Amino acid sequence: MSVKYTPVQWNRNKWIYDAVMLAGVAAFLWVFLYVTPDVLNHERAINPQIHNARAFGACAFMMLTVILCIGPAARLDRRFLPLLYNRRHFGVMTAFVAITHAGYILNWYFNFSSSDKYVGLLYANSSFGQIAGFPFELFGIFALVCLLILAATSHDFWLKFLTPPVWKRLHYLIYAAYFSVAAHISLGILQDQQNHLFTLLFMAGAAAVIVLHVAAWLSERSEAAAKDGAWAEVARVGDFREGFAKIAKLANGERVAVYLMEGQLSAISNACAHQNGPLGEGKIIDCLVTCPWHGFQYDVRSGRSPAPFTEMVPTYRLRIVEDMVEVHPDANPPGTYVDPVPVPAPADPLPEEGTPA
Amino acid sequence: MDVAQALVMGMQTWGIIGAIVALIFLTIGIDRIDEDARGAYVFRPLLIPAVLLIWPIVLWRWWQIETERAAWAARYRPVRAYYGAAVCLMSLGIVVIVFSGLSIRQTWPGDVAPVQLSEGVTQ
Repeated sequence: MSVKYTPVQWNRNKWIYDAVMLAGVAAFLWVFLYVTPDVLNHERAINPQIHNARAFGACAFMMLTVILCIGPAARLDRRFLPLLYNRRHFGVMTAFVAITHAGYILNWYFNFSSSDKYVGLLYANSSFGQIAGFPFELFGIFALVCLLILAATSHDFWLKFLTPPVWKRLHYLIYAAYFSVAAHISLGILQDQQNHLFTLLFMAGAAAVIVLHVAAWLSERSEAAAKDGAWAEVARVGDFREGFAKIAKLANGERVAVYLMEGQLSAISNACAHQNGPLGEGKIIDCLVTCPWHGFQYDVRSGRSPAPFTEMVPTYRLRIVEDMVEVHPDANPPGTYVDPVPVPAPADPLPEEGTPA
Repeated sequence: MDVAQALVMGMQTWGIIGAIVALIFLTIGIDRIDEDARGAYVFRPLLIPAVLLIWPIVLWRWWQIETERAAWAARYRPVRAYYGAAVCLMSLGIVVIVFSGLSIRQTWPGDVAPVQLSEGVTQ
């Protein structure tokens, strides 16, 4: 038995998140269409279709930029974590905005000939041998396909069905998509841009994505290099708090949550079997840790959900060497029971001078 | 035109096969491989777009699960090792394409005479 799938898992925070996101999209489109034509140099739009196409295209780029900034920002500074938790809704909305952009383009530039508009889109420009005039539409098509794949596979089912490694690799398409969007803009609208405020905004957005991702990558790499070895250090015994975890990051990138429960230490994967939620941020109640994202529970000694639920996560071996808690990086199969490691009692303080022993 | 038509026809064929896979997978296959989906029907239409797009991967995973070929550890194999490569490629690509785009602007850095880009226009 487990939790049945639902179309969308709503809660109060997600409603607020989505409302803010939708308000942001509406505000962006309104500002672009009605407030800033002079500033952004799109007052020369020939008709409403082209104006709308540019507005939705710019909005999709802005949304994609924000999405790509959230991840590394949350890794560098935990205060951004709340933005990360509902990012999939952000991604789905971005795909819809991008489709709207493509729809305006298709139904204006390619809709009035005798040939099929999709054939016309692929046929209209075939200058593949040159950078100037290169068919930038292809970059847009590729990015749109990537965004559609990411949005379409954002349901919980896909994470479980594809497994997190396959799902994550598929979602690495976001980086290819962002490059394609940058190419689409650079070889497209930027070629005709007379007022360079938009050019600067575009470059600032792309630069923010690059800087944040490179900084997060370098930060992770230095952490991993410092922890390379057979057994990974977690924390000193005295740093643990009863009922809570310390999260260790292994050299292979995996995260392990090590809990102190009733004076004993146990370690399980930090990734919840449901949606990879951060188990290490949950608190232990009655031997069970509760995932802070959706409430899934696991026994920290075996990595198993309490009956009748069937979710399982891998467990890890622990040892204590000179007051330092260490974890072995090789995971046990999900649901494997591991004897908790008792925390040594603190040594009796030496008798003070002059007092009877 | 032939290539463009062939591409569109290829996409249509891809979609038709995807629709057939979606029909079979979402009515028969999903109940066989995921107990969480048994008795849950409302969410299934949401899966159709993804099956249309990535049906070869769907068939591959379905086969893997049915034949129990996937090792348990594969599910927990971290993929962050590829993060650096993805970030570096994306960053380098963006820098190159943005500067390439700006350098070929016909009105950048100053106004210059427009250049005919392709001969087809004059024909």
